[in-house]
Amino acid sequence: MDSQLNFNIENSFNSRYSYCARQVLDELPDSFTISDPSISGHPIVFVSKGFLKVFGYSKDEVVGKNGRVFQGPKTDRKSVMEIREAIREERSIQINLLNYRKDGTPFWMLFHMSPVFSKEDGRVIHFVGVQVPISPPWRPRWSASGAVRNGANMCDDGDRVCGNIMFGSCRREVCSDTPVELSRVLALESVLDDSSRGLGIEETCEASYLEKQKAEAAINKIFSVLTRHSELTGRFVCAKRHCLPGAGILSSSLNISLGRIKQSFVLTDPHLPDMPIVYASDAFLRLTGYARDEVLGHNCRFLRGVDTDFSTLYQIKESIQTEQACTVRILNYRKDKSSFWNYLHISPVRNASGKVAYFVGVQIEEGSKNQDRNGLCPEMRHRSVVGAVKVAVRSLSMGAGPSRS
Amino acid sequence: MVTVKQVEDDNLVSKVAIPEQLNCPRFCFQDIRIPLYRFSSQSLLDDSPFEGRVCITEDEQSALDSLLLAQWEDKMWKGVLRYDVTTSEIKVIFGRRKFIAQLNERLGMDYVPKPEADKICGQGNFSEFQWTKHQEESLFYVASGEMAIPELIPSAAMPDGAVLIIINEIPLEYGHVFLVPCGSDSLAQVLDTKSLEMVARFAVEINNCSFRLFYDCPSAGTSHRYFEACYFPSPLPVELTPVDTFFHEGRRGMRISAVTDFPMKTLLFESNKKFKGMVEVLVEICYQLQEKKIPYNLLISDCGKKIFLFLQMQNMANSGTLSAWECGGYFLFQSRSEFDQATEEAMLNKLRDVSLDDEGFQVVKELCCSIADKFAV
Repeated sequence: MDSQLNFNIENSFNSRYSYCARQVLDELPDSFTISDPSISGHPIVFVSKGFLKVFGYSKDEVVGKNGRVFQGPKTDRKSVMEIREAIREERSIQINLLNYRKDGTPFWMLFHMSPVFSKEDGRVIHFVGVQVPISPPWRPRWSASGAVRNGANMCDDGDRVCGNIMFGSCRREVCSDTPVELSRVLALESVLDDSSRGLGIEETCEASYLEKQKAEAAINKIFSVLTRHSELTGRFVCAKRHCLPGAGILSSSLNISLGRIKQSFVLTDPHLPDMPIVYASDAFLRLTGYARDEVLGHNCRFLRGVDTDFSTLYQIKESIQTEQACTVRILNYRKDKSSFWNYLHISPVRNASGKVAYFVGVQIEEGSKNQDRNGLCPEMRHRSVVGAVKVAVRSLSMGAGPSRS
Repeated sequence: MVTVKQVEDDNLVSKVAIPEQLNCPRFCFQDIRIPLYRFSSQSLLDDSPFEGRVCITEDEQSALDSLLLAQWEDKMWKGVLRYDVTTSEIKVIFGRRKFIAQLNERLGMDYVPKPEADKICGQGNFSEFQWTKHQEESLFYVASGEMAIPELIPSAAMPDGAVLIIINEIPLEYGHVFLVPCGSDSLAQVLDTKSLEMVARFAVEINNCSFRLFYDCPSAGTSHRYFEACYFPSPLPVELTPVDTFFHEGRRGMRISAVTDFPMKTLLFESNKKFKGMVEVLVEICYQLQEKKIPYNLLISDCGKKIFLFLQMQNMANSGTLSAWECGGYFLFQSRSEFDQATEEAMLNKLRDVSLDDEGFQVVKELCCSIADKFAV
């Protein structure tokens, strides 16, 4: 993990909650993680001891990773999509999900995820995810036409069930009550060939009322700790959004989409006074030497210096006024006052209403040894960033709004 | 001559205007030198399972994604496109289904058919103008390769078995392109395994959840073989609908499910291993559907992990069939008033009206099982 990312992850938690928050959370027996959608890759910034015990990882193996790494080949794609939708809409979700331990064994759990809002500006600070293992006996979801696996069929050569045929009832081994028996089954599966591994695990498991209650209770406990410990830093958090996100605040999903773009770029909001930066990529911070909170909320003019050409600045201003894209070569300055030639491309980016929501500025340092690993020329690198940003912003503020319909 | 068709009086755009060269079997792209993206030799679709590859990073843009977006944005910047589709308003139609509507007032309005195209094409020699035009609409080729990692060649002639990516100058969404498999049998009327495999692989390697691929079966008496693709900003309603799995085969890891509670009869194909096997099954199913004159469409989403098969009503007049994105729940409107007044009920009816009936659906499900069975042996 690079040191910048390391710092961001530490800072994400420490800047919000007082120093003893970690200690209090560590005392909770539950399995949960806290992740930060504003950091590139939406990494986990806190993991509970309970989680490490259930999943068999060490803390360093989990912090900095995306929650996705605990999913596997048998994880239902639709559930993954529903979680992605919940993140996009910044709402809570409770869903049955197949996760994988470090040793590769899959298990069903009830996943409950909730956003943590900033009281001050309504933005999503973190997501808390609680994992409650669903205990056997499992209750596969039955349907008249559904195909169900069972033990008798497990070792068959064909291992295939089709149409309306059902073999027996539930798989006996899987119905076992004790963890010992369950682990025996899992061990048995691991020696079987690839085709029959993990069978039985494919049927959707429903969590019981008790398990749902347990997840709910865990979330409430965690929120109570987070709220209390945010009071001490003066940066209050809450479980419910108290106000609409303030001006210049990007949604978590937009942050996550933009985080996939690894080149240097910023988004500026033309609807706010002085057109401040509302998003800066990690590569931009590396290029210019500034920290994120030194650039967010500021106009890009801090990049200018004594030898910056005024006619170029005028050209940029004009293209912004006419909502046109432009490419210029401009002398810019880093935080340490060293200068570099910036091959800059600026383009308007529109939201769902078709109106300009942001301007994207893509910076390429001339003569830099950092060649594009995809083999694209500088012009095409500009275009690829603009294209990716346009796709990410396209659905922003979309009409009826999926979460409110 | 293909123009934009309107369905009845509701001003919905049902068909996209298609570049002439796609309808012209004798069109030859070989002279065009454009970038070539070669897949790595390590195929994602061969018998090796998806399982070992769950670690494909979703955290970073793929090289293929960068290339497509860069090429598309570049053509836009150079004025090849008729309009900027991101200026078209989109919204979610109020209701539980979350149907998506787009207002595109320019679609079809300034589309001027070029009556000479067929003739020129048929004679197999192009005027300078035509050649330049095809050159500027062509983005790049994709082809299989022998290297361990994918490679990008800045300029190349068309290799054997390549897929040509052409921009749609009248885009329906951002990144709208045609994918044209350029094989020796490009006259074929039916979908073939090689083509479907190549485009599915394209979806896997682009590795962007917003990216979706479409295929509309050719209407009777016509021949074409191309796919369409674009970036849809949010999931299509069909992708969020529950499914009921009725076929599950462990060895190939293939699952066939019926999408429940959706107005259009739809099947979902998934496979976590032996992807190639699933493609073979699907191609055979599509062939049988065409034999039975059941119009169908395909939607490939979730980075190639899901393939939806939409089933439309048998014996319909060709003009009545819907395109794949409409089947998925994305509708285009040409007038403001229609866009503003669009209701969920009207969209439900639109899909219901052309959907295959229950009886036909049962037959298709049985057909799928028997074909999948046959291939499993």
